[in-house]
Amino acid sequence: MKKLTFIPAVFAVSLFMAACSSTPTTTSMLDRARGDYMAAQNNPSVAASAPLEFKAASDALNRANDAAAKNDSLEHIDQLAYIATQKIATAQQVAHQKAEEARIADAGRQRDEVRLQQRTQEADQAKAAADQARMQAVQAQNSAANAQAATADAQARAAALAAELADLQAKQTERGMVITLSDVLFNTDRAELSADGMSTARKLADVLTQNPERTVLIEGFTDSTGSAAHNLELSQRRAESVRAALVGMGVDASRVATKGYGEAYPVAANDTSGDRQLNRRVEIVLSQNGNPIAARR
Amino acid sequence: MSTRLSRTTLQLLGALAIAVAAVGCASDKTPATADVAVSRAAVDSATSSGAAELAPAELTSARDKMMKANQALAAKDYKAAKEWADLAAADAQLAQSKANTAKATSAANEVQQSVNAMRDELNRSNANQQQ
Repeated sequence: MKKLTFIPAVFAVSLFMAACSSTPTTTSMLDRARGDYMAAQNNPSVAASAPLEFKAASDALNRANDAAAKNDSLEHIDQLAYIATQKIATAQQVAHQKAEEARIADAGRQRDEVRLQQRTQEADQAKAAADQARMQAVQAQNSAANAQAATADAQARAAALAAELADLQAKQTERGMVITLSDVLFNTDRAELSADGMSTARKLADVLTQNPERTVLIEGFTDSTGSAAHNLELSQRRAESVRAALVGMGVDASRVATKGYGEAYPVAANDTSGDRQLNRRVEIVLSQNGNPIAARR
Repeated sequence: MSTRLSRTTLQLLGALAIAVAAVGCASDKTPATADVAVSRAAVDSATSSGAAELAPAELTSARDKMMKANQALAAKDYKAAKEWADLAAADAQLAQSKANTAKATSAANEVQQSVNAMRDELNRSNANQQQ
């Protein structure tokens, strides 16, 4: 707005001078000063940011215009025009400087803003880390509880297995737990299990169902009475009979192997009827710790 | 800095006002010692603002004109001394404002760069966090 007041002033002085002088003089230096002044006027930030310098430039241009109107020497006009040019340039520079200072202040504000964001982020990260640590602690607690439960479960199952095996009069051997089904659990000279035999097979099937990692080998034996071929066949059939009973009770067939040995591997002499009865038997070997059952030596 | 500049400017304006008043009717014999002193102050101020590096052409021009003003003063050519002093002051003021602007520009660039670096760091940290 201020610059508008300069224009009439410049104009009035020019008119006043023109009134008492003949032809107004100009020089290329003065033309240049007037052009620079117009450019500065068209840049609103010059009058706004450098009012003092712009006023000085305005005054200097007025003096150069006066000198031209008075037909002063060209040298003098040029001197004043030069001074006006430099003052206009100075006003432009000061305006530019103020703009850069504003940029510094703005960058300072941006820096504060980024710093705030950094602090916020650090706090968020710390919170996230704390949350994660808390979550991991909870997970660790849960898995510890699970492990404890699993251990308790395994212990309970082991205890139950031990109880059931004790009920079946199982004996611990190098090859695994061995359950002996005596002759009385079979009908005489027959392979079919008696009612008591089926009851024993039922208990064994329960053990196998609850311990799915275990497999069994069913071995059949006879006394030395009768032909060896008949005895071998009978021992095999009795072993198969037990296997069929187990499979019928839901035990996977692949977990049950059979072997008939006939009169081999007697557990007693075959001279009394009591001893012969001991030899007529079926032995069931349970695998242990997931290992396959070792062959009979 | 700016107070010194404005003081110098005011002094110059004062000197110019007197000169304008004097030019109308006074003779060329008015001693120009004050004008020369004001201009020397302007040149010194520009020099201490780093104009030798940041506005060498303007400062050299100002010094050359100061030399001529001093020579004219010694020769008791007061009119020429005042003219050279005014020209020198105009150059010196431009030299000073150019130097100040250059310093402000580089300071602004520096601050902006540091802000950009901080922002990059923040973005990188954000990206890492989201991984």
